[in-house]
Amino acid sequence: MNWRLSCILACWLPLAAHAVEVDPVPSVMWDFYHKQFLAQAPFVFDDRVKLLAPPFAEDARQVPLEIDARAFNGHVVKILAWAELNPLPKIVDFQPKAGVLPWLSLRIRIEQATPLRAAVLTDDGLWHVGSTLIDAAGGGCTAPSVVRTQPGWEEHIGEVLGGRYPRGEFSRVRVQVAHPMDNGMVSGIPEFFINHAQLRDQDGQVLADLELFPAVSENPNLAFDIDAPGPTRLVLRDNSGNEFDAAIP
Amino acid sequence: MRWILLLCLGLSLPALADLDYALKPRLIADDTWLLEGSTDSFAKANGGNIVNTAFIVTEAGVVVIDTGPSRRYGEAMREAIARVTPKPVIQVLITHHHPDHALGNQAFKDVPIGALAETTRLLHEQGDGMAENLYRMVGDWMRGTEVVLPTQVLEPGVLSVGGHDLRLLALTGHTGADLAIFDQSTGVLFAGDMVFYQRALTTPNSPGLAVWLADLGTLQALPWTLIVPGHGPVASDAQPFTQMRDYLTWLDQLLRDGAAKGNDMAEMIRSPIPERFAAISLSRYELIRSVSHLYPRYEREQMQPLLRN
Repeated sequence: MNWRLSCILACWLPLAAHAVEVDPVPSVMWDFYHKQFLAQAPFVFDDRVKLLAPPFAEDARQVPLEIDARAFNGHVVKILAWAELNPLPKIVDFQPKAGVLPWLSLRIRIEQATPLRAAVLTDDGLWHVGSTLIDAAGGGCTAPSVVRTQPGWEEHIGEVLGGRYPRGEFSRVRVQVAHPMDNGMVSGIPEFFINHAQLRDQDGQVLADLELFPAVSENPNLAFDIDAPGPTRLVLRDNSGNEFDAAIP
Repeated sequence: MRWILLLCLGLSLPALADLDYALKPRLIADDTWLLEGSTDSFAKANGGNIVNTAFIVTEAGVVVIDTGPSRRYGEAMREAIARVTPKPVIQVLITHHHPDHALGNQAFKDVPIGALAETTRLLHEQGDGMAENLYRMVGDWMRGTEVVLPTQVLEPGVLSVGGHDLRLLALTGHTGADLAIFDQSTGVLFAGDMVFYQRALTTPNSPGLAVWLADLGTLQALPWTLIVPGHGPVASDAQPFTQMRDYLTWLDQLLRDGAAKGNDMAEMIRSPIPERFAAISLSRYELIRSVSHLYPRYEREQMQPLLRN
């Protein structure tokens, strides 16, 4: 162990009560993802990263997921979330900047019962991993698109519904984007999904950057908590190069 | 080798013998028998017997109301009927297409199986998926169960069978096609899943809680003397209606308020459940499901199109 890592660990000792030694969920994949997504960087299983999902998926195509890393407000570099046993595990890479709380909610697809993870990289270089388990009848990733059964869906692509909901100290911003989010797993339909979203303030300053993956449900729902004042803009881009732009009051 | 086989037999026979619904019909009114299920969720321990089914022994023969969750249940129901009366089963009425009410149809293939036209359509569309899910949840109890579609289209109105005038009502609040049966001769109202009592209601196909509330008004206005809910104990007073209304109104307001505050689904499923619903079985479980079914409609009402600049 090099001296820098020792220092970091020493600094974190008072908080060790929150760090769990053993994996809180039964997982056969942790070592693999630790290597694959976190490049074997130092990490702790940490119950201060709250990953909130229902205990079971009522609709495996639209599973609500809330990632709450507000315990690390001001120190979050990025949040990476994935569903371990999904054929396409990655969900989101979320980088909140000043003005946006390290909190995100969205809906995802899951293919079977699986551990879910949200790894939060703090500015000291340590990953804090929040975990939960969800049960499911499954099939959420390979189910045919609902959007594509609606006549004229092509004309609505990129339409954004949403609003701002004041909550005292900050405000909740919610958006729902019309998009099939095709993950390439349904026969004959290639990948076609929104892969990037950026939240900007009125001066064009970036409030948050998101990379989205096809585990995100069709017609993506995203919610942010913003403490920056003034109107916001959401700029979205899909993997076919379409760009969508929504003004949030 | 032989002793291994014997050992396997010895181990498996008791396991098979355990899969017995042990249905015990209970006389609840003249000619009217109830098979009351538990108020739990589908589980291997109950074989999916979480539902109330019933039969009426008329002069002309037996009218069956719902056939239960599996082939095994349907067959057990038929045996239970035979223990009560030598009369043949002459009519089956299916209240709605949900698996716990209609997957016993296989045992009644020789009898006209009546349902609303939309119920048959929904069962055709969703039956296999629902049966598959039940196999996952209750396991071997389901062995051999397949969807059998109703063979007869029921229209609202009075169906007279062997001295019982059965008033058929076509409602929509629970699944979009819900048959309620009011036996005008005995005053028994078979409410199907339009009424849950002491068990949280389920909403996977509901067209909306307001529709359901309006339908409850229609049912309550009938001159009933006994209510048979789809799930939960029978009642001779209006308690089941009061509880349904209270719960539906609360759920509607909860979802409305949540959407107005910009809550997401994951937050909604953690909402506190009022103390007065504490005795209702599975209220948290069903809240999680209902949020998934219904909340998207509430949240869209609270969103505006965001113009592109």
